[in-house]
Amino acid sequence: MTAGSPSIAPAGRLRQVELRRHWRQLNAESRWGVVILALILLLSVSVPLLSPNDPYGFVDQPLQPPSAAFFFGTDHLGRDLLVRVFAAARLDIALAILGVSVPIVIGTFIGTLAGTTRNRIAETVWDGLVNALTAFPEIILVLGIVAMVGADIRGLLIAIWISRWAQYARIARAKSLALRDAEFVQAAQVLGYSQLRILVRHIMPNVFSEALAYALSDFIFIIVIIGGLSFLGLGVTPPTPEWGAMLAEGRLYLRTEPWLILFPGFFLSLTAIGVALLARGLERISKGEDE
Amino acid sequence: MTSSPGGIGARTLRLLRHPVLRRLAQAFFVAFLLMVFAFLLIRLIPGDPAMILLGDEATEEDVIAYRKLLGIDGSIPSQFGRYVANLVRGDFGVSIRSREPVLSIVGKRLPVSLWLTVTTIVMTIGLALPLGVAAALYRRTWFGHAFQIGASVMVATPVFFSGLLLILLFAVQVNLAPIAGYHAGFPANLYYLWLPALTINFVLVPVLSRILQSSIVETSSEEFVEAAIIRGTQGWRFYWRYLLRPSLAPTIAALGYFAATVVSYAVIIEIIFNLPGLGMTLVDAVRNRDYPLVQGIVFLSGLLVVGLTFMADLVNGWLDPRAKIR
Repeated sequence: MTAGSPSIAPAGRLRQVELRRHWRQLNAESRWGVVILALILLLSVSVPLLSPNDPYGFVDQPLQPPSAAFFFGTDHLGRDLLVRVFAAARLDIALAILGVSVPIVIGTFIGTLAGTTRNRIAETVWDGLVNALTAFPEIILVLGIVAMVGADIRGLLIAIWISRWAQYARIARAKSLALRDAEFVQAAQVLGYSQLRILVRHIMPNVFSEALAYALSDFIFIIVIIGGLSFLGLGVTPPTPEWGAMLAEGRLYLRTEPWLILFPGFFLSLTAIGVALLARGLERISKGEDE
Repeated sequence: MTSSPGGIGARTLRLLRHPVLRRLAQAFFVAFLLMVFAFLLIRLIPGDPAMILLGDEATEEDVIAYRKLLGIDGSIPSQFGRYVANLVRGDFGVSIRSREPVLSIVGKRLPVSLWLTVTTIVMTIGLALPLGVAAALYRRTWFGHAFQIGASVMVATPVFFSGLLLILLFAVQVNLAPIAGYHAGFPANLYYLWLPALTINFVLVPVLSRILQSSIVETSSEEFVEAAIIRGTQGWRFYWRYLLRPSLAPTIAALGYFAATVVSYAVIIEIIFNLPGLGMTLVDAVRNRDYPLVQGIVFLSGLLVVGLTFMADLVNGWLDPRAKIR
């Protein structure tokens, strides 16, 4: 880029303009969602970095109520709850993103494959398979897989990946059923492209947008599962700071030190609310409702 | 139909195509796949489950005996054959921990979970119905807006947090419920169940009343509603027959769909409130790596959901003549 050239804006400026344009397209709901999520992300990065206290380390007398020195108080082992809550935010959000990203790719691929086949037996088996997988109560299925793979972060992620792809496959199949006779697909066939290339390069990109919309609501569900299993002591285990695990620890002091559950629970819910607002807002925009 | 087979053949054929039967066949197929999945669950463990359970010090005979106990000796097809034959006889294997048959453990713990589910669903209907109707009728007032915001917040709050909040409120601040625990016996057990049920409804009611609200709004613009108003239909008859009943179908369908969610959340709820139900058994089994027990509970809970979904479909078809079962 030619620096200082008047006709071309510098890259940073350009990005700013771009961002502002996106921001203007959002409605109130999705803006609130973005603000909440940005705030939580900012805090989850800055608080553990800026605070002198270690999320694992003893800092002061245990079970102190919130004060000027410790905004969220201290927990039963005398650790700074503020630092732990936001260290947990980082871990939970990262795990949830990891949890969503694998099923969306695998599910979309399998669903597109199922949607473009014209084999009737494959269709029947497919219906049964997806129905069977979605018939399992989610948490019970995840628990079953965790029991087999191991009750740790790795087991938790594998369980989420195995149990969540079917929803994406369902969405992708419905969409690709409509697309398989589209003109641009026929055109690609006439050009002699391979089946796989048509699938991956022509159909999947069109299916992906819908899967992404679902991924937002799935994100909420997965963050609740991660917290839920860790709450049961079967996912992220203490002393690692994680919202669900912190709630399980704080539960023992519910009567006398309720802030031990109020802070992690509040930020977990706030994250979910932020994502939900964003999802609803974007859904309304895509439907062409209001603003 | 391409060819018309005459006489009884055609009637049988038509009967076989009856939507209820088709749904039933589908349900059986799904149940079969659940069984296959439960079978695979224990066999997908990386490594030898018997070795994992026994540790490195195990003798050869112990390992062989354990494999037999878990049903993982012999070839895969013969294992599957034995597994199916046992299931048909009602034999779900034996818990590794207590050496008690899985089915008898489930039988002991199931009533608590069923009571929780029934209490939850009764409460759901009692809360979601009036809320959904009110939210539809007053959707342009402050109530409608408050409803929308409140519902969004409640849905996003995980049950293990809302449960603790409700305990804090109802069991610690005001003494209206026990903090945890359970006693069997009908009216008495409600004292222990109402708060757990309310916790599950914290998620369920907002979702269902929202569905009900939007389907009432949709129904109210139908021509048959207009026709009823023109004919002068009034009062309960109008609300039930022309507004509520045709709008209920999506809500019932959703309730069937959320049966899985209720069973799911019940696991966490049972731990929070210390209810000795199936969920607590499952979590203990997972902790102890009690594979046969995990396998049995996963399979049976899947079966329960398939049954509930099927029933919801039937009720659905009865409620709304428009929604013929596909």
